[in-house]
Amino acid sequence: MLQILQDILSGLFETSGLAGLAAEPLKLLMMCVSFLFMYLAIVKGFEPLLLLPISFGMFLSNLPAVLPEDMIFHAAYWNEPQSVEWLWKVLHDGGLLDKLYLGVKLQIYPCLIFLGIGTMTDFGPLIANPKSFLLGAAAQGGIFFTFLAAGYMGMSAAECGSIAIIGGADGPTSIYVSSKLLDGADSNLNTGTIALAAYTYMALVPVIQPFWMKLLTTEKERKIKMPQLRTPSKTEKIIFPVVVTLIVALLVPSAASLVGMLMFGNILKESGVAGRLVDTAQNALMNIVTIFLGVSVGATCTASNVANWDFIKVLLLGVVAFSLGTCCGLGLAKLMNWLSGGKVNPLIGSAGVSAVPMAARISQQEGAKADPTNFLLMHAMGPNVAGVIGSAVAAGVLLSVINY
Amino acid sequence: MHPLLLANQLIMLAGGIDGNKRPLDDSEKWGVTLVGLGVVIAALAILVVVILLFGKIFDQIDKNQKAKASAAAEKKKPKPAPAPAKKEPAPAPAAKSAPVPAATVSPVPTVSAEDDEEVIAVISAVVAMMSEQDGKAYRIKSVAKSQRNNGFSGRSAWAMDGRRQNVSPF
Repeated sequence: MLQILQDILSGLFETSGLAGLAAEPLKLLMMCVSFLFMYLAIVKGFEPLLLLPISFGMFLSNLPAVLPEDMIFHAAYWNEPQSVEWLWKVLHDGGLLDKLYLGVKLQIYPCLIFLGIGTMTDFGPLIANPKSFLLGAAAQGGIFFTFLAAGYMGMSAAECGSIAIIGGADGPTSIYVSSKLLDGADSNLNTGTIALAAYTYMALVPVIQPFWMKLLTTEKERKIKMPQLRTPSKTEKIIFPVVVTLIVALLVPSAASLVGMLMFGNILKESGVAGRLVDTAQNALMNIVTIFLGVSVGATCTASNVANWDFIKVLLLGVVAFSLGTCCGLGLAKLMNWLSGGKVNPLIGSAGVSAVPMAARISQQEGAKADPTNFLLMHAMGPNVAGVIGSAVAAGVLLSVINY
Repeated sequence: MHPLLLANQLIMLAGGIDGNKRPLDDSEKWGVTLVGLGVVIAALAILVVVILLFGKIFDQIDKNQKAKASAAAEKKKPKPAPAPAKKEPAPAPAAKSAPVPAATVSPVPTVSAEDDEEVIAVISAVVAMMSEQDGKAYRIKSVAKSQRNNGFSGRSAWAMDGRRQNVSPF
């Protein structure tokens, strides 16, 4: 009788999380990292809407389990070649987070997030001053110069592209590109680590950007006041999404999904006839997708994926990408200021990295610090929303050039 | 790097680079960087031109519509307007000297004086409250408008609030 009781207890222990933890002690470390991110989200307020689901997803996927059927997320599934049998295995044997992660792998979530962003974005400042597109394009220099830097660090083309896209300061785009490029690639990197780095640096925009803004501009330049922008007509705002989608799809078809959904959301908003759809897209749908995206992307941050040298490289190159993007935008804005005879405040250039509307707010804050009567927000919103389009185009270029 | 080699590599990029290729050649790294940046700038530059053109077209349409509207308004106006003007040239100067214009002018200083009085009343109330708390007696000697008291180059509170409402969504 005692022997039977001992066998049952021993069997229970062997299949419990405690035995799993003893077998993989790194999981404990990953849980501590997830607690750190939860702290940053809740106490410090760093992008809490994304960082909290990501960190909790990370916590869930690192919970120790011995039996495969008890695991919420199976990291091993996502390194296997994809086929109909593989899809059936994920649906039949996978945990909850495996099933949710299909939305990332199939590039559904990033596009739906872009739809929601479209319904919340006012392209008016960009239509009023189309030259802002150039600042949005220049800031994408961060992506391509980081590609170069990653290449010199001996990384593969897929890894270079996945890390470089962090410089676009656009979470959904980073997920979209990395989930395609790293699919089946021979790499230690994965979409989760790229997304984690991208969102961490997006939360750190108020720390990273002001340093470069002060370094690359003079007090006199920061005080430059820009004239009031004209107000575009409703017809212009309705035609804009159609024209942008058409031109981008003709030039870079790989970017059509992202830009198309962004502009679809925007035309819903600007048409003024689909109020219920706009309300759903910018609230309910956006929130649901953010929850699914965050928690499933966080789940990919398992010990084997994060506790390695490659993740450190991602973090290092991520900050390089952000800084280069900011500097390229500032550089072009300074050039435009010089060419226009002092009419462009260079601070609006840094808003060319997408991070909407945080980057534009930083331009406004830095301008107001130099002169409290300086209002740059609407001028910075132009490059800011141009940066969203620019990063989607850059993503399309990377996906076109790199075979995955 | 030799320019011809780079050009050759750029052409090769059309076929794409193997995602797993490691390490990348110098020409591939520079090729992706230059082609990528070039395509992004070109795509957005095309958008600049197109949106500028659209802006000009719509401005022109707006101007035409305004011109048509004002022309239509002018066509309607002249018929009744000249008649009384020709018939009553004399009463016009008489009206100027009459008390009616004085009545239309007078409200302006009256309203501002009321505003000033209200502002002074509010300031007095605040001062009275302060004097109650401090136990000291204060006297308002003068009230003068300050041009830059809010740090926003003399913008009115309404203008400031309007601007705040415009920028708050961002």
